[in-house]
Amino acid sequence: MTHQLPVLLRSMPFRLALLLVALFAAISLLSFGATYVMAVRSIDQSMQNDLRQDMTGFRAAPSAAALAALVEAEASVTDPQRLVLSFISGDGRSFGNSILARDEDGYRLISLEDGNAQIQGTYLTLTDTLWGGQLTIARNRQDVEALRDAYWRIFALSLFPTIILGFSGALYFASRSARQVSEIGAALDLMTKGDLNARVMPRSNWSADLAGIGGKVDLLAQAQEASVATIKQVSSDIAHDLKTPLQRVGVHLNDLKHQTELSSEATDLIEKARLELDDMALVFVSLLQIAQIESGSARAQFAPLDLDALAGDFCELYEFSAADSGRTLSFVGMGETVMVDGDRTLLGQVLANLIENAIRHTPKGSDIVASVSQVNRRVTLAVTDNGTGIPASEHDLVLRRLYRRDQSRTTPGSGLGLSLVTSIAKLHNANVILSDATPGLRVQIVFESNNPNHLMGRRNKREAGYFEQRTSRKEVLDGEHRDIS
Amino acid sequence: MKLLVVEDDEATGSYIARGLREEGQTVDLVVSGRDALLLATSNTYDVLIVDRMIPDVDGMTLVKTLRGAGNQTPVLFLTSLGSVEDRIDGLNAGGDDYLTKPFVFGELSARVAALARRPQVVVHETSLDVGDLHMDLLTRKVNRAGRNIDLLPREFALLEHLVRRKGRIQTRTMLLESVWDISFDPKTNLVETHISRLRTKVDKPFTTKLIKTVRGAGYRIDA
Repeated sequence: MTHQLPVLLRSMPFRLALLLVALFAAISLLSFGATYVMAVRSIDQSMQNDLRQDMTGFRAAPSAAALAALVEAEASVTDPQRLVLSFISGDGRSFGNSILARDEDGYRLISLEDGNAQIQGTYLTLTDTLWGGQLTIARNRQDVEALRDAYWRIFALSLFPTIILGFSGALYFASRSARQVSEIGAALDLMTKGDLNARVMPRSNWSADLAGIGGKVDLLAQAQEASVATIKQVSSDIAHDLKTPLQRVGVHLNDLKHQTELSSEATDLIEKARLELDDMALVFVSLLQIAQIESGSARAQFAPLDLDALAGDFCELYEFSAADSGRTLSFVGMGETVMVDGDRTLLGQVLANLIENAIRHTPKGSDIVASVSQVNRRVTLAVTDNGTGIPASEHDLVLRRLYRRDQSRTTPGSGLGLSLVTSIAKLHNANVILSDATPGLRVQIVFESNNPNHLMGRRNKREAGYFEQRTSRKEVLDGEHRDIS
Repeated sequence: MKLLVVEDDEATGSYIARGLREEGQTVDLVVSGRDALLLATSNTYDVLIVDRMIPDVDGMTLVKTLRGAGNQTPVLFLTSLGSVEDRIDGLNAGGDDYLTKPFVFGELSARVAALARRPQVVVHETSLDVGDLHMDLLTRKVNRAGRNIDLLPREFALLEHLVRRKGRIQTRTMLLESVWDISFDPKTNLVETHISRLRTKVDKPFTTKLIKTVRGAGYRIDA
């Protein structure tokens, strides 16, 4: 879950919710600010009124001496931290609780009581000239400052829960929609892998927009499934319509062969025609099989299998044929289980094709090595020979359908072997890599995504496996089906 | 043996029927699923040979219907569709074996014979004999006329398969399926080379040859 958090933070619902929280905070800040400014203004206004009223009171004094006495009397009962009274008479004497001094830094208030200490704080002052002297009244603005602090505190207190709620709400909605998005994604992944049965099936509690997308994906899959079914039907119809005449030609050839008075030339011709017919059927079956494999539906039958054992079995199967044809075939395996998800028959065809190709297209005396290796999670199946090889410029061409090299035109084969290998590899999420084995050709099938859960311990002695023969193909197939149903 | 062939292609159908009759079997040939259903429910057959694509009632439905009604007659499917999935579908529908078109008659005949004589109960023997050849299935030892024969594991499996079915033809593809679990047809003569290696060990030193080649069909072991 933790590694999904960054993804969640970048998701649309989270960003939207965050944007809303930010917008709400900004608006709160603005309205708080406006209220604060208005409140400060009204406090300042009333302080100015108070100052004017005070000044009016002092103006009523009949003489400078009376004014000085009045200021002194008032000052003695007034805290300069709250209200400053200062009268400097025409002859330069100071009365009151402070003196308003001025230097290059601005105005400062010096207390006349506590050893000329400077008075800190912000003051609103009113100065007037009376009886030849200067009277200054200043009121401390600490109420305004207290108000500002209170406003900040209220603002923070009201915003904090909003941010917490908004943030957790954003995470909740993000993860909720992430679940729905990932369900859509999972269905799409399955479809990409060829499982057209996969459906999103949005539930009633889904958000309307995602449910809408999910529903549309389902409709698309349904249409795709229907069209694939049609293609399958068409190809099986073609298969039936073309294979039946092939079978019939075989029957006619057979009838012809059983006619009594036939020259040996005629019998030879019949045999040749029969061989051609076999080749035709082979090309036809291969093309049909490639098309079927490329539809991807065979993935549904995939089961974990031991590639090391399979390759070992095929090498054993071909060993004698290779030896009879003057080549050596050996197997270099891991000596332990190397599990891949796949279809045993199809991967067997890959091995058969690669080994047969190597036997067919190398000079006598060549050595052929089949190998299975595993580095981390990457499994590689390779067949390497030390024959004449294929120039790098032709590596891509030989994987094409029906491509035959000039040198191979005289050897039997359909030119479909390697394209069958390529389509089977693709079905298994594997790549086919041709390279120069200096000398010779190396064909590698590299399985990109191998499920590590299937990696099991060391296999028991190989020989033990040979006797565990499954008694009939039917049982094997039944078993496979039970796994998938 | 009494066999029912359901095949809508006239040429193929009569070819199968004629071949089987030449072998001495009784054969009923029909071209539609409906006729097949009628005959199969009113007669007792040893094996049904059913094309997957036939008019009226298709092969799959026919076999499903028969199995649903408790009819357990072995069924060999003939199919133009050779993919693994199609085969699995056919076997799930209740088929016992399959043969992909185009096929040769020898293959069909051997498979029909194998189906008809399929043992109902698997007997777990500990040893097998054919003529003077003795196979001990527990110790995996083979001897012939008192002489030990060393076999590789797969050679033992091949010999065991043939001996268990002594007197019956086993085609190349049947051996590939049963002994090597390979359900496609490699173009190399693999089975021939393995049989030939087996022969040099089992038959070459002796005057009586046990492993016989049946031309155009396969192999058979006989005393």
